[in-house]
Amino acid sequence: MKSPMRRLVQAELRLMMREPLTLTFVFVFPVVTMLIIGGSFGTKPDIAFDGANPSHWYVASYLTVVIAATGLIMIPVHLASYRERGVLRRFTAAGFSRWSFALAQMVSGLVAIAGGSAILLAVAALVYGLPGMHHMGNVVAAFVLGSVAFVSIGVLLGAVLPSARAAQAVGLLLFFPSFLLGAGGPPPHVMGAALRGIAAYLPLTQLTDAVRGPWLGIATATGSLAVAGALAVLATALAARRSLL
Amino acid sequence: MDDTRVVNVRGLCKSYGKRKVVNDVDLEVRAGEIVGLIGENGAGKTTTVECIQGLRQPDAGTLAVLGLDPLTQADRLRAKIGSQLQSSGLPDRLRVAEAVQLFAGHDGAELLERFGLAQLRRSAFASLSGGERQRLFLVLALVNRPRLVILDELTQGLDPAARRGVWAAVKELRSDGTTVLLVTHELEDAENLCDRVVAMRAGRVLASGAPWELIGRYGQAARITFSLPPERVPVVAPDAMVDLPGVLTVTHLGTQLTVTGDRAAIAHVGAALVSSGWVPPDLCVRIPNLEEALLDLLDHAKSDAPRDPAGAGPRTQPTRTTRLTRTTRSTQLTRPITEQIGAIR
Repeated sequence: MKSPMRRLVQAELRLMMREPLTLTFVFVFPVVTMLIIGGSFGTKPDIAFDGANPSHWYVASYLTVVIAATGLIMIPVHLASYRERGVLRRFTAAGFSRWSFALAQMVSGLVAIAGGSAILLAVAALVYGLPGMHHMGNVVAAFVLGSVAFVSIGVLLGAVLPSARAAQAVGLLLFFPSFLLGAGGPPPHVMGAALRGIAAYLPLTQLTDAVRGPWLGIATATGSLAVAGALAVLATALAARRSLL
Repeated sequence: MDDTRVVNVRGLCKSYGKRKVVNDVDLEVRAGEIVGLIGENGAGKTTTVECIQGLRQPDAGTLAVLGLDPLTQADRLRAKIGSQLQSSGLPDRLRVAEAVQLFAGHDGAELLERFGLAQLRRSAFASLSGGERQRLFLVLALVNRPRLVILDELTQGLDPAARRGVWAAVKELRSDGTTVLLVTHELEDAENLCDRVVAMRAGRVLASGAPWELIGRYGQAARITFSLPPERVPVVAPDAMVDLPGVLTVTHLGTQLTVTGDRAAIAHVGAALVSSGWVPPDLCVRIPNLEEALLDLLDHAKSDAPRDPAGAGPRTQPTRTTRLTRTTRSTQLTRPITEQIGAIR
């Protein structure tokens, strides 16, 4: 017989695939917006895109959109709605430990990111072709650390926010500015100084820089990678603390 | 220690902020019993069982459930308890069979069959009716063969047919020897299902006992009414009825005769009617139920009664004859009056 933890993860993965919000924001939204934005600036290398092919620049940027959608929208809304509707109480009373549900959310979040990224890359490969990866180690490290960081932020938000509606409101409010300024919007070089200044402080901007820079050979972005790593440690510690209390 | 005690709570206190929700509650549930924790909304019932399940931390008191401390041994305890919690749900898109698999690690086919859910295995939780959901919660509460089952507001929002279905399911638990703690403000549930009930109000235990004991202790008298045409008065002799065992009052209003008394009075009045050779066609007997008894008790508690840990009842019992003096322009006989009549005769 499978352990309660394995059963919970399995059930959560199955439910994730039936959840319209997940399907829309994690699997569909990044692909559709990548096709729109990535197709808007052509494929000719451009100084505004650090000398890279704009379409490839967006392909490399949009992986982090999948990560942000999972951590800022999917997980908080899912967790908060479970608490609001008494699902968490029922699971707790049935003997599932308090941390097991948070852990199941982290696993499903990471699987969602993997699935969403695979779909995004498959579509990008067909439409634009995938850009060559200059520093694969840095890219993979940034992708993994960023995924852990944002999934933990999602668990933390879901544990703190009182209802699904509140989680949706806060999630969307965090997601869209981060998405437009830090990953899927205009390149930083065409933004005004004020917007660029704000964007530089957003966690998603740091994560996108840490993935895109080494991928396209623009920069190794080890500073941004360190930020993603620190964020992963901090967010995981806070989420674990909140889930255990 | 008495090892038949499945739940043993002493001096339980719990406050939310400044509001004391549970105040010095003692509660015992013995193996194989179905015990009802009853009272109005806000009486502290749910908080009490949440402390028993280790879902809330008590401010004071000692708790032992199946010999374990719910606070420090919650994980071990929860594996032995089946719970149906008030206002708690399941994920909308989780299917019936998946829910059972998730909670039990096996398909629970026998229980799904027994509770009439076998054909709904593939149905999502959101598509189930209220009765089906409650039956699924029962299955989930029982699927790990728990020694204690806690059912909180099990029949809330159910139509009468669904309610009876759930009652039948709980009665089956009794035959299996499972110990059940039933939390409800539906006194009909408690009267139909429980071996013993514990009545709470404002965080305190007001009374406890078997439903019939509480009805006897706090309920009003049984009431027998029938029409008595003038030509039948000499045959039936209503004046003599007040001397029958258990009879409290006899009221003759127009052509209507009302006799009140305890349950024994019902048999004696019936016997008197049969022996008089006339059984009224509109004979009607109204027996007080637990709901009426408890409403009386709760009304009383609101006005004056202090806590009664022994369940001995409020300080003052309602005076039955006083309650029956509302009738106007009628002849009402009570025991003292008949004694006077007897003396005159």
